[in-house]
Formats: sequence, structure tokens, C-alpha cells
Amino acid sequence: MAKLRLKITKGNPIRYVSHLDYAGTIERAVRRAQLPAAYSEGFNPHMKLAFASALAVGVTSEAEYLDLELTEAADITLLEAQLKSQLPAGIELKAAKYVEQHSKALMAVVNLAVYEIDVLLTTDAVWENVKTIIDNFNSEIEVIYVKQSPKGRREIDIKEYLSEPIVVKPLADNQRKLIINLSIKITPSGSVKPVEVLAVLTDNFGLPVDKDAALINRIGLFVTDGKAECSPIEL
Amino acid sequence: MHPIDPVSPAILSRVMKPARYTGYEWNSVSKETNTDLVSFVLAMPDVYEVGMSNLGLKILYQLLNDRPDTFAERVYAPWVDMEAEMRAANIKLYTLETKRPVAECDIIGFTLQYELSYSNVLNMLDLAGIPVEAAKRDENQPLVVCGGPCAFNAEPMADFVDFFILGEGEEVIGEVAAAIAAWKQASKPGGKNGLLQQLAVLDGIYVPSFYEVEYHTDGQICALQLLVPAAKPVIVKRLIKDLDQVTFATKPIVPFIEIVHDRIMLELFRGCTRGCRFCQAGVLYRPVRERKMETLINYVQELVDNTGYNEVSLVSLSSADYSCLSPLITELITRFKQQGVSVSLPSLRVDSFSIDLAKQVQQVRKSGLTFAPEAGTQRLRDVINKGVTEENLTDAVSAAFSAGWSTIKLYFMIGLPTETDEDIEGIARLAQRVADLYKQIKGRKGAKVTVSVSSFVPKPHTAFQWFGQNSVEEIERKQKLLRSLIKDRSISLSWHDARTSFLEGVFARGDRRLGKVLLQAWQHGARFDGWSEHFRYNVYMEAFAAVGLDPAFYAKRDRELAELLPWEHLSSGVDKSFLAKEWQAAQQESFTADCRHKVCGACGVCQALDAKVVDWGQE
Repeated sequence: MAKLRLKITKGNPIRYVSHLDYAGTIERAVRRAQLPAAYSEGFNPHMKLAFASALAVGVTSEAEYLDLELTEAADITLLEAQLKSQLPAGIELKAAKYVEQHSKALMAVVNLAVYEIDVLLTTDAVWENVKTIIDNFNSEIEVIYVKQSPKGRREIDIKEYLSEPIVVKPLADNQRKLIINLSIKITPSGSVKPVEVLAVLTDNFGLPVDKDAALINRIGLFVTDGKAECSPIEL
Repeated sequence: MHPIDPVSPAILSRVMKPARYTGYEWNSVSKETNTDLVSFVLAMPDVYEVGMSNLGLKILYQLLNDRPDTFAERVYAPWVDMEAEMRAANIKLYTLETKRPVAECDIIGFTLQYELSYSNVLNMLDLAGIPVEAAKRDENQPLVVCGGPCAFNAEPMADFVDFFILGEGEEVIGEVAAAIAAWKQASKPGGKNGLLQQLAVLDGIYVPSFYEVEYHTDGQICALQLLVPAAKPVIVKRLIKDLDQVTFATKPIVPFIEIVHDRIMLELFRGCTRGCRFCQAGVLYRPVRERKMETLINYVQELVDNTGYNEVSLVSLSSADYSCLSPLITELITRFKQQGVSVSLPSLRVDSFSIDLAKQVQQVRKSGLTFAPEAGTQRLRDVINKGVTEENLTDAVSAAFSAGWSTIKLYFMIGLPTETDEDIEGIARLAQRVADLYKQIKGRKGAKVTVSVSSFVPKPHTAFQWFGQNSVEEIERKQKLLRSLIKDRSISLSWHDARTSFLEGVFARGDRRLGKVLLQAWQHGARFDGWSEHFRYNVYMEAFAAVGLDPAFYAKRDRELAELLPWEHLSSGVDKSFLAKEWQAAQQESFTADCRHKVCGACGVCQALDAKVVDWGQE
């Protein structure tokens, strides 16, 4: 038995695939690649595959991590080549390494997600206004977001989950386009989605952007102790 | 390389299941588009998850893309939310492969699986910016072709379609592609009409505009006029004599999102000659032709390697009838165990042999078993030639309960010919008997019996094609009666909407004049008629009234044997006289044996198509 940790992407072609379907896609690719994947016991065996953090529909990622259990520790460069040849459009294998068989689950150690959001300013918006709005948001101590779900209504304080102030900068060649950078904590008691932060920025703080057209990209997942951060593959 | 998506992220973030519209799936084919290539769009007038599950389209996609002269792409019906977005933003229907407008392609082919998908064909053409009526399309707009089981009564769709393909497509699709390629290369001599003249002489091709239908004053058909020399008096279906020799879908597209049949589909054979008199597929796909076990196992190996799926579903009209089924399952299970591949069998016969098979494939997991007695009394089962006794059912169910199953689903039909209230009572009695059997065998309650009752829709090319369908009121009365007779809490009952079945019946046996009704109903909002939440019965009834046609004329009317039927010129190879004989046998409750094992029933298909039954169990 061996545990293989993979760093893969979720690119634009598969932006709208859900986390569950993304996981199914990886499973089928692993089978096509004929990796020596381990399966659970019991009648309905499933591949032992564990992700660090689920990604929402519509969100791309440059850094998804997953642990795949193998029945044997085969040569890693060979496994990488096999898997690469079977990955569909939108998924790239960035790195792979064996980790300790009994290492903690990715989901239990990853506690920070960094996002970049591309948005378009509405036509009459001015950059100075944007800066003021972001400054206002950053200076608030508490920002409440109301989560409406089939399970009911829940109020959460967004600021509790933001590890740093939001950074916003216009793209050099196109002043109508903005890039928003967010660092979001993933805690045992939950987290907040980047789309929810964006909704608060537009709906409560009046950020003049088209939130429906926002392109959200996860640029990193990290393990941090509050001082230094490292990616799960560097652990 | 990656084309710019025609739909903006803002739209995709608003619609349900946006990955229906974005493509890039594993095994989807991309070719450099150039004007010499025949650009063929394969379409299903239903949503992505349904369209992607169709085996015929998978086969055609592979066959066409294997050809160097053709590039086949896909398109499915956008769901209503996406349609609204596309219309609001003036986005034309586009292909999933290159995202180019469907209207730029040479030919668009729809598979017609179900009468209530017709309005979606019109809607998709319109979304593509293509006039829905064939006569209004110009030389630069794509040809529209339809195939699938409903093509065997093409008439209600005749106004909208340039040509139809009858029967199995593996050979004829290549002939069509080659003809279009040659026609394009020669700078389209004679225009579209010139091409249709060439296509019309190919076996299995029907060009409806080359025919004119004349009617009696009572609405019945009096004659069919052939307007051009290329028009054949009878169009006979295409048939693959040796299924081991044609391409199978061994490299199907693997979708990112879950589809209806999200697994390997292995077609064991075509045809079923058990001869159930209500069954259209049993006539259209005659005779039975099996694939060799060796061929099937090689397909599974290729499919597992090419898709990464770990479930194989054995699909055929009656998979349990495959002559080498038991050795096949054993071989599949042993050979692919290492790769975690499981086998499933969607349809079961009502006998204990089936239970042994079910045990073999399901091993531990005891999901429900489904049986289809179809009718509640022996008398009525004899009428429909179901060839199943109550004892068969109780044996099978007892074996299932003993083996650990507790959930049984029973399929029935109501509205069958000669049916009386006694037959409806028989359904309730049979369901009760199944529930009681559980208690007898297990000594406790706990069975879950689901009774699913559909309303019988008489179909063309069957022994019941002359039968007047029960009215909506009659079906609803029978449904209520059945509801009142089922009291046991372990039995649950579900049924189909009677009005949906009525409309299905109208279009199933309709003639060309229904094109006007369909057009008007679509213009007034009909689409996704097969989806109950979108079915708009009144829109259709208003369209009938406006056009001046009576739907009951098509659905409810008993036909005389001598009547010229709208599909008379479209042949499955089975003689009308055979169907008439079966219609009489039904009324005498007399049994016709399966021609594959017993005596030939003289349906005529083998003679008409120079074909024969292929059964590897008898070799």
C-alpha cells in the first residue's frame, strides 16, 4: 500500500463541472491510466480518493490536491506519464509525490484557500470609488452575510474567515477589468465561499461590478500556522 | 485551438447544469474544420443527459468520425432556462465540439425516439435560426434528416424533414455521408433537390416531398402519389445481417456530468421474436441477430480501456434471452474483477432462470427487481401474446424473496384491446398475491411492491395498429378503479398521465396533416411535451381546433383492415397480412410461439430482407 498525493488543476473547459462530477472524472482517468488504485472493502467498492477541499461549480483552480491510495508504490514518473495521457481537457497534473501512508487527511490539514476573481466594472464606475469601497469593507470589524439554503437561514460573519484584507487592482491594459484577491480560512466549523464575499461587496457595499460574470479562480490551497504557509505537496 | 464559447459566463452561472452546454468531454472528437468535410450534426430532441445516453447516436458518432470525409458534432435540446437565455441574448444553437452555429453545417440528423419529442425538433431548428418547414429552407441551409423508431411513421414530421432513414444506420449512414461528400465536391449539382434525388434511390431512404397523399372526404387516405421517378413505392428498412461485422461504439464520449445511462452499454443482440402484440420494437428490429460472445468480450475490454467506466450494462430488447448469457456473465465477472468492473442486467424475464442470473450479477447488493406481467389476467396476457403465466411470476417472485430481495416492481398496461374491469381487478389481485408471498416465505411483513401502470398506446407496425385507443376519460376511470382496489400498504401504485398517452397515440398513428397541428402547437409554446412539468395539453387541443382536425380520429378510431394506413409505404419487412393474422389471433386469445426456437411464424422479414436469425446458442 502507498499513498500518492497529486496536485492537479480544474481549468476553464470544465469550469462548470461540480465537485462530485470532477471526482468521478478523476476516478475514470485513474482507471483508464491503469494505476494500481486501491478500493474499499465491501460489496460496492469505491476508489480510495480524498480531496483537500471541494470546489464550487463555476470556479476554476490551479491547485487542487488529492490523495490516492495505491496497492503498491510503483515508479512515480511512470505513474505520472500514465495518468497525464488519460486526463481530459481542463485537468493538468502539476506534481505528484508519495506521502506517509498514515499522514493526516488533506481535508484535515488544509486551512487556507487563496482566490483571484476577475470582474468587469459597470460602465459608469470609477476606479477611485472602487478603492473606497474596498477600504470600507476592509476597515469593518464584522460583515454579516445571510446564507439562505434549503436547510434554513444562517448568518455568518465573513470577516471571521478572511485572513487578510481584500486586495484589488485594475489590470494594466484594461481599466474596466478588476482583479480581486481573497485569502479565505478553512476552519473545522466551516468557511465562506468567494462568491459569497463578492455578493456582499456588490450588494452591501455597492461595488460596481457585474457579479454574475465574475470568473473565480482558486490559485492556491495552503497549510498555515498563522506565520508560514506551505502547499500540501511541500509538507 | 479552443474556440471562444458563444455563451457568456454570466449566462452559464445562471442556468441549471451548465456543463450540459460546454463540451470538451473525453473521447469527443475535434477535427480541423474545412469546407470540403461533410459537417454532420447529430442531434437528440431532448436534454444532454438523455441524448448522451442514446446508444444509436454513440455508434453513428464513431462511424461518421472514423470517415476522413466527415466531421460529426453533437447538439441537444437546451433546457427551458437556457433556451430563454439564448433567445434573450440572440445566441444561435451551437455544436458542442466546435461551438459553431448548427446552421453552418451541411446536415443535421435527429433521432426520433418518442412522439412527444417532435416539438423539440422544431424548437431546436428555430433556435438554430433554421426555418422549421423544409419547403422554406434555402439552398444554403442544412439538410434535416431523421431516424429512429418513430421514422417508421414519418408522416406527422414530413413537413419539417428533408429525408428519413428507416432501420439500422451502420451501413446507410456511410452511404449518405459519401453521397453528400461527392455532391459537395462536384459543386452541388442540382442543388438540394439533386442530392435528394440521389439519396431517394438508396435503400431505406424516404424523401417525403417526393410523395403526395390524397384523402377521402372522411379523412382516410385514398392514395399515395409518387411525384418523381426516384420515389420508391415502398421504402424498406435497412438491416445489418451480421452484427459482428459492423462498428460498435467502443470509444464513446465520457461525459463530465452524470447522464441517464452513465455506464458502458453493451448491446448483445438486436431483435426480439417473442411476439408481444403491443410491442413495436419487436417488429421493427426483427429478426433476432446475436453478437458472438467473443466479440462482446473484446468490446468490453476496449470499452473499459477507453472510458474508465467500471459498470457494464447489458442492453438489448430482452437481454435475458441472449443464448450465451450465463457463460458471458461468468466470463465478464471473472475477467474484469481485478478492475472492479460490475455487470448489470436492466430487464428480467418472469422466470426463475432470471433470478439465478440476477444472483449472479448482483451477488450481494439487493436492489429491486423488476418484472413485467403487462396484464392482470391470463386471458388478457394471451390476447397480447405475453406468454407468461401467473405461475411463472409467482415462481420468479418466490425465488427472489427466498434469495433475499424484498423490493419488487411490477409493470402493467391498461387500455389494452378486449380489456374489461375484471382485467383491472386482476392487476390488484396479482400485486396482492406478490405481497402475500413475501409473508408466506419470510414469515413477516416487509415486502415493497411497486405497481407501475402505463396506458397502452397502439403503435404502427404492430398487431394492434388497428385498435381504437381508450379515451382519456376511460383510462382515468380505470386508474381510479385500480386505485380503489389496492388497499395493502406494502403496495404502492403509480400511473402515467392519460392525456400524455392520448397525444402520443395521436402522433404515433397520425398522417401528414398533423404537421400543421404540430407547427401551431409549437408556435404557441409546446416543447418538452414528454416532461410532465412542461406538457401543455390545451395548447395541442387548441391547435387541433384551429387546424380543423379531430385528435380522436387518430387515436380513438378503430381501423378496418382494408384502410390505407399513413405508414403503408414505410416497411419494417414484416407483412401487413402477418400483423392482421396476429390481430385476429389476439381476439381469439391464441398463442403465437417465438419463431426463433419454434416454427417460423411467417412474418416475412427474413424473406423481404434476405436475412436470418442469428442465435449462437444453436450453432
